[in-house]
Amino acid sequence: MCPVRLRIFFLLLLSYAFYCTWSVKAAIALAAMTFVTFFAGKCIGDAASEHRAGITVFFAIVLLTAYLAFFKIAAIVSIRGLGRLVMPLGVSFYTFKLLSYVIDIYWGKIEPTPHLLPFAASIAFFPQIVAGPIQRPADFLEQLPPSSVMLTKGLPRLVWGIAKKVLVADNLAPVATYVFGRVKGLHAAELLAGFYLFPLQLYADFSALTDIAIGMGLLFGIEGPENFNRPFTASSISQFWRRWHMSLTRWLADYLFTPLRMATRSAGTAGLAFSITLNMLAIALWHGLTLGYLVFGLINAAYLVADAFTLWQRGRFFKAHPKLDGLGSWLGWLLTLHVVFIALVFFRARTNSDAIWLLSHAWRGLGSARSDLTQLAAVVGARSLAVALAGYTVLELAERYRPDNWWRRVEPTVAPWVQWSVQAAFIVAVAVGLFMLTVRAGGQQSPFLYQVF
Amino acid sequence: MQTSSKSEIMETLTPIFREVFDDPSLVLRDDMTAADVEKWDSLNHIDLIVAVERKFKIKFVTREVASLKNVGELTDLTYKKLVASR
Repeated sequence: MCPVRLRIFFLLLLSYAFYCTWSVKAAIALAAMTFVTFFAGKCIGDAASEHRAGITVFFAIVLLTAYLAFFKIAAIVSIRGLGRLVMPLGVSFYTFKLLSYVIDIYWGKIEPTPHLLPFAASIAFFPQIVAGPIQRPADFLEQLPPSSVMLTKGLPRLVWGIAKKVLVADNLAPVATYVFGRVKGLHAAELLAGFYLFPLQLYADFSALTDIAIGMGLLFGIEGPENFNRPFTASSISQFWRRWHMSLTRWLADYLFTPLRMATRSAGTAGLAFSITLNMLAIALWHGLTLGYLVFGLINAAYLVADAFTLWQRGRFFKAHPKLDGLGSWLGWLLTLHVVFIALVFFRARTNSDAIWLLSHAWRGLGSARSDLTQLAAVVGARSLAVALAGYTVLELAERYRPDNWWRRVEPTVAPWVQWSVQAAFIVAVAVGLFMLTVRAGGQQSPFLYQVF
Repeated sequence: MQTSSKSEIMETLTPIFREVFDDPSLVLRDDMTAADVEKWDSLNHIDLIVAVERKFKIKFVTREVASLKNVGELTDLTYKKLVASR
């Protein structure tokens, strides 16, 4: 509907209007950081010498990192005269977009963009501002002007995200709220329910937000990067981190891990362990500067280091014993799943003391499991729990077998009445999805877990 | 001269890639990227770079390594470094 040349301005306007509904002051800060970064990018690109470009990129990195760190610190401690501040919406996501822009120019991967407004639109793009995915400005700008609306790709993705959020994440949320809210007063079975169900809630919730962001983006002609690839089926921790929050882990792999590994490459395995640990701590503390996130990062770092140090030996062993390969993958999956879930207890628990209590009491006294689980089901709602678990099973199966891809291949070969029937079913699903969203918006919808970063 | 030097570099790179990524059947192409090789990830990317540095007795800097897009660009960069070191 909107002329092609005006689409980007419309997107920019819409993005800032959306952001202003949250906070006008935060929108001004976003605009200021965007302008400073755009100007820094220009200076780096036009620098007369490599030295001057290096100094400019250094100051830009310091400024952007200090900006992010300020809000992360101000969110946990009171600052004289300001009190405790609320972090601007999506600050962790858009700061990383800005950082990648100046670093990519310095590294010679991209040229500075000549126009401020499309750049500003790439940073403030409203479907991604709340919780990513972190789309690098160059990837966004390459798609301009936005192609025509990708309705048939965008709408199903949007509906899938809403269904995940409403049916799975929101129905699992009361379990985590109940268990992590009163860890020390609960029995083993309830603690185990929290241990196993919170990660499922987190995945359903965060991946739903990504689906909604990608779906909305497609409706505006912009294709965003994927963030998840069935992470809980990973058979090693390195595989897990290549499948979980991929836009963040790729960002850190490019801008932190690679420079660190290059700097420490003469230090051998110690350099590798140092780089992995620092990179993992950055992933953890990106969420917030708390002890819980720190422990979450340290557990993952220890497992990643062990994984990297034994990679070669494991490869040799399974090459020599191919019959054990399947068993090895299965055991690797089981171990990875449990280490990740243990780390996520520290991610979710109110305190590390609560997390340790949960982990040390979750396996004791399972004799009363039946009555404990009956009580838990009564508190959180047995029907909600059943819907959530059935929904999660469908989620994993659908992401494994991808019926949408299958349908795209099959559609041209089937009879017209089959095509119409599927299209009608899809329209009904969209209507139901939008209805559920509207109803839940006025009801007990829990906030998206990742919108606080 | 330039072409043959680059193809020689590619030939020397092949066993390095095969060893680092533990794949004896790997055949290099200019447009090959990390997405085409199963075990090529950020962890062993630097192992590859270190192996290339050792083999050719050259040094890369982070900026050069970070901007590499495919095997062809690694070959070109190695060639440039070798020419500069002569």
